[in-house]
Amino acid sequence: MDRRKFLLRSTVAGGALLTAPIFDTWWQKGRAGEIPDLVMTRGGKPRLATKEAVAALGGMERFVSRGDIVVIKPNIGFDRQPEQAATTNPEVVATLAEMCLEAGARQVKVFDRPVNDPRRCYVQSGIEAALKPLDGVELKYVDDRRFRDMRIGGQVLTTWPIYTEAMEADVLINVPIAKHHGSARLTMAIKNWMGIMGGNRSRIHQRLDQALAEMAAFVKPTLTVLDAHRILVANGPQGGSLDDVRHPEVIIAGTDEVAIDSLGATLFDMKGGDLGYVRKAAELGAGEADLNKLKLREIPLSA
Amino acid sequence: MNMGKIFSLRGLRITSQWLFLLFFLFLFLETEGKGADELGWPVRFFLDFNPLILLTTLLSSHSAPVAFFLSLIMVLITLVLGRVFCGWICPFGTIHNLVSRAADRTRALVRHPTWFKFKYYILVVMLALAAFGSQQAGLLDPISLLIRSLSVSIYPAFSLATSALFDVVYHADISGVTTISERIYNVLQDTVLPFQQGFFRQSVLIGLLFLGLLALNLYERRFWCRYLCPLGALLGLLSRWSLLRREVAEGCTNCGACGRDCPGGAEPRSLHSWAPESKEPETDRTREAARAMNSEAAADWRHTECHACFNCDDICPHNLVKFRLGLPSFNWGGKLKKAQSPPPALDLGRRRLVTAAVAGMAMVPLMRVGNLPAARANPKLIRPPGSVPEKEFLSRCVKCGECMKVCLTGGLQPTLLEAVVEGLWTPLLVPRMGYCEYHCTLCGQVCPTGAIERLSLEQKAKVRIGLAMFDRNRCLPWAYGIPCIVCEEVCPTPQKAIWFEESEVINSDGEMVMVQLPHVDPDICIGCGICETLCPVTDQPAVYVTSIGESRSRENQLLL
Repeated sequence: MDRRKFLLRSTVAGGALLTAPIFDTWWQKGRAGEIPDLVMTRGGKPRLATKEAVAALGGMERFVSRGDIVVIKPNIGFDRQPEQAATTNPEVVATLAEMCLEAGARQVKVFDRPVNDPRRCYVQSGIEAALKPLDGVELKYVDDRRFRDMRIGGQVLTTWPIYTEAMEADVLINVPIAKHHGSARLTMAIKNWMGIMGGNRSRIHQRLDQALAEMAAFVKPTLTVLDAHRILVANGPQGGSLDDVRHPEVIIAGTDEVAIDSLGATLFDMKGGDLGYVRKAAELGAGEADLNKLKLREIPLSA
Repeated sequence: MNMGKIFSLRGLRITSQWLFLLFFLFLFLETEGKGADELGWPVRFFLDFNPLILLTTLLSSHSAPVAFFLSLIMVLITLVLGRVFCGWICPFGTIHNLVSRAADRTRALVRHPTWFKFKYYILVVMLALAAFGSQQAGLLDPISLLIRSLSVSIYPAFSLATSALFDVVYHADISGVTTISERIYNVLQDTVLPFQQGFFRQSVLIGLLFLGLLALNLYERRFWCRYLCPLGALLGLLSRWSLLRREVAEGCTNCGACGRDCPGGAEPRSLHSWAPESKEPETDRTREAARAMNSEAAADWRHTECHACFNCDDICPHNLVKFRLGLPSFNWGGKLKKAQSPPPALDLGRRRLVTAAVAGMAMVPLMRVGNLPAARANPKLIRPPGSVPEKEFLSRCVKCGECMKVCLTGGLQPTLLEAVVEGLWTPLLVPRMGYCEYHCTLCGQVCPTGAIERLSLEQKAKVRIGLAMFDRNRCLPWAYGIPCIVCEEVCPTPQKAIWFEESEVINSDGEMVMVQLPHVDPDICIGCGICETLCPVTDQPAVYVTSIGESRSRENQLLL
């Protein structure tokens, strides 16, 4: 549909809207056929919001085919509880896993390489309990043998040990939480890839923005769902105090993680350009940081 | 009460030994966090039932955790049945049994009848030490020794070897074989292997000591239990008054079978083994008298060394050995009424006992003159969260290593000389190996003696075990103008104890660059050490924790 046709159709539709409400449905259907680059839900329970957001992107069937092996990578980096907004909302993770299974996924693997004790992180984040009832979903601890040196091809990260299961999956879904971070300012989708990196990650911090941008250019997720149901606005990435937690009740979904981080930054009164790694990732061609160039659909949901 | 061979008591005893050993190992494996706040199993079970720990803790710290009074049950059992703990329950004893199986039967014979006393002297030394405030029983208490040896040495070594084996097959990637081996590996990981490989300082020393004790079985069966074990000694003393009596009925052919398979070395005898060599012509009367004396003597044995294993009951080809409950005969201490002496009963000798007690007492000041003055704490002696003040800590800790086993990060390690000789093998946090997990309270949950108090999550968040300090000459932003602040990122307190100033500094290229320079807020820092663990300056970290500021000490403080 080119612009001329679209304008024409919109005019007709607009006219019809005034005269015959029956055309309203047709118009909406026409819009629905156009898949936005970014979807942002506001309000609603995390489960509903996740479903609506992915549906607006064309449904999970667009990303997952029958028999696929799916890896879902949440942020389970710290020993915190969901209310503290340091780890991805368990409902969001579980809903995505469920949708993958419904779309025909053979297996869904969920993991992270946490900073704190992995056992406590998996349990206290609520993610272990949320995934337990789902057959075909595996919440696994990272197995050190499965890291392999891979060519990242960047300036900082020429090669780095990366978790093979994440790279070998048919479908890779990034499910970060949006939160404050001392050195990166914010951690959202791109920063979440540190959880598939092996070795001594502390060293990366010397050139964190560049390294993160290079990871963004290297890892190609099928889908990214940013959990901003609760966000941590200070003392991140661990937080701990409920005073630092806000409740925007937002879920952002899309396929371009640079765009998602750009949009996510607005929740913290920032722009994508304020984040070094977003700027650099866009320069490396990992995605589009300019929100004006992107089609965004906002979906208000009632609780 | 006739405990005849309705069913085999020996079979029952072996079953019991296996069950208790497996239960012990199960609890040992369960001494591992699974992500919840609570552990779930009573993993201290064998320590709670240990009267040696109860007694020494009472002596050294004048108090004991309530759970310890469970060990009074063990005292009661011993008063009735003798050292059944040694024969039926003790997992270390069972391991000794298993090892001694490898040796041949003659090694059941007692080589050194006078060495039985050693363990009693060891016990007396331990008690004397405890009476003067120094808890050293754990060095040789069999349960503490076993848990410690397994925790810091044998089990990690087992895990390392097993993983290495499966890693070889994994990396070889042989089609078919690797799939199967990985499946087996997964099962092992879910059952007997630890969540993560443990690494412990002094694992070689502690492991070799343990293996050495096991190897003594090749010299003499249950060498440890007979000659060294202080818990065995304590139970042995109690069993002097035990009601369990051994009887040999008439008809014994003096075959000696019963003496050949006695784990404790109590040397049960057959009827005629101590028959008087009478030169008088036999009459009915003398024969009668001899028989009476013999049956009394034959029923005797080294009462205090009997493990109540019932081997002699089981083995007697004529089924003449019987155990029954009866009032004790106070026929010990060398004061024998009859010339035909049974095997020498326990005679410790007053002078030797006093020597042992004095030696124990003298050791206390000897060890303590090596201490730092009270106001000077060892900076490296970072005790687990909830540890009581050092003096009391040393009067309580039995060095069992439960806390080291359960520590999520593997940061708790046995001391060598950080707490001087007296504190050998007590726990300290080595942040280079692992930090103290902010929400974890497991070490206090498993500590049997209250040396580490059990904390609630709220208390844990406030307890300081030390304070972080920066070495600005090694810190990337401070020394080189290179960005980092991993320390700030991982700092777990809700308001971060590590804060940074943004500052323009000159880097090695002569450029002015903006970096975040980290600082510690000593009011907030709890000394958990995660900053040290994860500092990218890996060999000698640019941020490190020392013990100053620890909540448990009044002296070791930085701030007014």
